Amino acid sequence: MSSSSETLSKTALFDEHIRLDGKMVPFAGFEMPVQYPLGALKEYQAVRDGGAGIFDISHMGQVRVTGPDALAFLQHVTTNDVSKLVDGQVHYSALLNDQGTFIDDITTYRIDKNSYYLCINAANRHKDVAHLKHHAAGFEVTVSDESDETALLALQGEKAQSLLQSLTENDLESVGYYRFAVTTVRGAKATVSRTGYTGEDGFEIYLPNSAAAAVWQALENAGAIPIGLAARDMLRTEMGYALYGHEISDAVTPVEARLMWITKLDKGDFLGRAAVEKRKGEGARLAMVALKLTGRGIPREHYKIIADGREIGEVTSGMHSPLAGAGVAIGYIEPEYIDAGELSIDIRGKAVPAERTKTPFVRSNVRK
Amino acid sequence: MTIPADLKYTKDHEWVRIEGDNATFGVTDHAQEALGDIVFVELPEEGRAMAIGDAFAVVESVKAVSDVYAPIVSEVIEGNETLEASPEKVNEDPYGDGWIVKVKVTDGDTSHLMDAAAYQAFLDAA
Repeated sequence: MSSSSETLSKTALFDEHIRLDGKMVPFAGFEMPVQYPLGALKEYQAVRDGGAGIFDISHMGQVRVTGPDALAFLQHVTTNDVSKLVDGQVHYSALLNDQGTFIDDITTYRIDKNSYYLCINAANRHKDVAHLKHHAAGFEVTVSDESDETALLALQGEKAQSLLQSLTENDLESVGYYRFAVTTVRGAKATVSRTGYTGEDGFEIYLPNSAAAAVWQALENAGAIPIGLAARDMLRTEMGYALYGHEISDAVTPVEARLMWITKLDKGDFLGRAAVEKRKGEGARLAMVALKLTGRGIPREHYKIIADGREIGEVTSGMHSPLAGAGVAIGYIEPEYIDAGELSIDIRGKAVPAERTKTPFVRSNVRK
Repeated sequence: MTIPADLKYTKDHEWVRIEGDNATFGVTDHAQEALGDIVFVELPEEGRAMAIGDAFAVVESVKAVSDVYAPIVSEVIEGNETLEASPEKVNEDPYGDGWIVKVKVTDGDTSHLMDAAAYQAFLDAA
């Protein structure tokens, strides 16, 4: 990546990362910490092994959707069934184009029947906001991009709840999985949801920029370990969670991405629905596989997946899983190989054998 | 940052310890720190003949894949097989237990390599 630093944005926690001697890299248009001096492996372990980690994910975008047509509008532009959400509930969803392929994957928060909140990927922010505003014509809704004013911290790991509880009056025990509370954290107005991207129990905390550093420091002082992008990617890949630009893109529909569980074809019409229904009938053009290497090596993005001596697909995310004790990968292959044939991954010209497995690659500890 | 005085260095951050007809190669303290946590090392086959600059091993950290280049003309005697199970030794002890390969020196010319002072100056200038 060759972006010069003056073109990169900074989150409200930038000074914290510098104070902590984070190794800053360009990421989705922001200068973000890839790791801190502790190192990616120990950061990963802090989250997996009974501790808690704090992550700055303020680069992500937030869009507020309000008005009497908010529900009808979101039913039209998102794939999941928004009518099933109750106040204080959040779900995973997606924005599709007319071809049924992904504009983005998102989370949708229902504050009340006329007020919703979307969390979107940083790299897709301007595209998403333009898309939402374009399709808002004809609906009585206001679409406001609040990304620049909003900081977002993730607090993940077994100790997350006890650390956060000391900073908020809201009883966190009453906030279930994929539920949220609009509350205060250390005196600042905050939205706290029991969501995350690590496979551990934990929270995501939306705050005004002005409150972010104080909350970060308070959590750090309470024992949370700062976690960079490298460990975050390890934690999410081990869970097999899809990431835009890897498993999800405008080249695949929810049929290929195994995201039909968030694509409710029976809820009524929505953008991309016809194309997804057609693809579902025709069958997936690519099959998603989860692989565990039986030989030595680390599978990485874009490595070729081999069967019958030829390339039949590509790795979209790969890593050495400390818990699985092996290289693990997610990728897309030609559909006829989904259940048949020996697969291997081409690592520097060597075909390293791999076995089909399921995600998550290691046990999930989210609170269901 | 450690730079032992008795070793020779390359601009690609390998070190060489020459002992008679044999030598040991590894990556420097600077290299391991820049790479971050090393999680995989791919070693060369015994007997492999190497010219200066040949990529003979691969060191992988959580995020990056890096080639290791031969500092002198040589032939592989053995790779450090301990690293297959414990790649973190490259981080913990880059000039000791984290050595990567022992070689037979084919051409002892080291005039293209840096001594510790020159390598320090090279790092300072980077």
